[in-house]
Amino acid sequence: MNAPIIKIRDLHTSYGKRKILKGINLDIYPYETLVILGRSGCGKSTLLRHIVGLNVPDAGQVIIKDVDITQASEAKRDEILKRMGMLFQNGALFNSMTIGENVALPLMEHTPQDKSIIKIMMRMKLSLVGLSGFEDFAPSQLSGGMKKRAALARAIAMDPDILFCDEPSAGLDPIVAAGIDQLILKLKTALRMTIVAVTHEMASVYMIADRVCLMHDGEIKFLGSQEELKKSADPYVMQFLERRPDADRLDPENYYEELVA
Amino acid sequence: MSLKISNSVKGKTAVLKIDGEVDMFSSPQARNAIMELVKQRVPKVIVDLSEVSYMDSSGVATLIEGLQLCHKYNGKLVVAGLRANVREVFELTRLDKIFQIFQDVEAAKTNG
Amino acid sequence: MADMKATFGQSGRQLAFFFVHIARMVRLAGHSFVWIFVAPFKGKKLRWGATFVQMVRIGVESVPIVGVISFCVGLIIAMQAAYQLEKFGATIYVADLVSVTMCRELGPLITAIIVSGRSGSAIAAEIGTMKVSEEIDALQTMALNPIGFLVVPRLLAMMIVVPCLTVLSDFVGIAGGFVLALTNLKLAFVAYFNQTAEALYAKDFITGLIKSFFFAIIIAQVGAYQGFNVTGGAEGVGKSTTTAVVVSIFLVIFADLLFTMLFYSTL
Repeated sequence: MNAPIIKIRDLHTSYGKRKILKGINLDIYPYETLVILGRSGCGKSTLLRHIVGLNVPDAGQVIIKDVDITQASEAKRDEILKRMGMLFQNGALFNSMTIGENVALPLMEHTPQDKSIIKIMMRMKLSLVGLSGFEDFAPSQLSGGMKKRAALARAIAMDPDILFCDEPSAGLDPIVAAGIDQLILKLKTALRMTIVAVTHEMASVYMIADRVCLMHDGEIKFLGSQEELKKSADPYVMQFLERRPDADRLDPENYYEELVA
Repeated sequence: MSLKISNSVKGKTAVLKIDGEVDMFSSPQARNAIMELVKQRVPKVIVDLSEVSYMDSSGVATLIEGLQLCHKYNGKLVVAGLRANVREVFELTRLDKIFQIFQDVEAAKTNG
Repeated sequence: MADMKATFGQSGRQLAFFFVHIARMVRLAGHSFVWIFVAPFKGKKLRWGATFVQMVRIGVESVPIVGVISFCVGLIIAMQAAYQLEKFGATIYVADLVSVTMCRELGPLITAIIVSGRSGSAIAAEIGTMKVSEEIDALQTMALNPIGFLVVPRLLAMMIVVPCLTVLSDFVGIAGGFVLALTNLKLAFVAYFNQTAEALYAKDFITGLIKSFFFAIIIAQVGAYQGFNVTGGAEGVGKSTTTAVVVSIFLVIFADLLFTMLFYSTL
């Protein structure tokens, strides 16, 4: 395989006293789709926020294309960011702008392109996600699935090398969710992107993942292909795959104490 | 990164040869070159992409605009000599249906 | 006793928090001014289009309300002044009182308070909503700085528009005085006009404008700071919006006090 495009080294972070990430080490390779899997609160979204530079870690490095973005100057980080796209959980479309303006915004701000060219590019991206003709709509006029498609169009506006997706199928019905997964898959082969997606849905994993990274309690429990995941004998991996709830540990005496304390 | 662009106008046909990587920052160069030909209302513009190793969506959009402008005066804009990865970009954006694409400049001159 | 301790502890903590907030606000203002004065030389353009949109929203749209309120206030001061001055048969001095008070004090203050309520709150609400819906994060991942993108156009618009509104407020307030003088007090137009012209010095007018310029900065910064500070959904946006108005009115009046002390002792 090629050299990793993203290297995460010993990443630690905490909210107050609670440790969220406990020394994450992870390599992400060009053109692969890595799915970061885990239950809510395991730190997977936090990890993603650190990779895209939205949060600053307590310790550790995130090296994207040989630049440590936790230390880089603003100008250098911006250069890296312009080559990445991020799909937010709820789309995070700018509500004060139309869909078309949303998609065109990064192009208007960061490229020397003429307005007429940007318009054509914006329409190309919208047609790619199946939203031709929606450029003059406000985000509030679209359904959840369409919003996510529009957000995806915005994320790929600059032809990024790396696409990050935070819970791409969360909050969508299974059919629309499958549609989004399929779209991600299509864009990946078409645009030759590296994709890092965070999710808790196994259906998404089976559909898009080249490699799976299972997180639990701020640590990586498993890293490997889908086949390896299915064969894994790790008890937590098995519990996750089989959707078994945590054992109910109720201690009658402590329970009484808890209630009357 | 800048592009090397040369054009030769012979009678009713212009050949625009682009050399380099057509990306967000270099494609305005290609646009200026196309605009120049459009201003002269050249009836047939052949864009030779055989030396283009990479083209992103801004490059494709530039060509679409060129096509549109040529159509306005009943001119033609065709592309020739696409490398495999550039052809992929065309297919992805379904532009292989919009553009006339030729193997090389010679084919474009005789046909179309 | 324990209650007292709790109460004072609470107030002490709030006071400490207040200063922390002020310090952070000053830092935000610092970043904003770096954007205005330094960034353009580093190839980052100021967003004049967005600034213009904000100027219309903050300035043009508040012309009617600033006008009406200033007129009323001018009229009110004139009546209160006339009530006192009638005893000495010196109603002509209503002109001095109205014009000087409007220009030095009430014009800038009324404008600032109206703009705090209308636009300071709007800035907090807009930025707060964007924070809650991850739009601020989205800006950052697109390599667009939220300060440059959101705060600077609003700040620039405020700094341009609030002094303009203040000029409007000054004149309309003085006009309010005119109306009372001509109708109720039966003073001659020319006499009242001359009296006003004689009473007003350029410095009265200019100190008012200087104040209003700084009020503009306060309102924009407090609004933006409260917006960025929103936590916890729609309820948080509401809270921050209210806080933005209360804090900016407080700081405006406090700044007014400082300026007035300064001008009073030096000019």
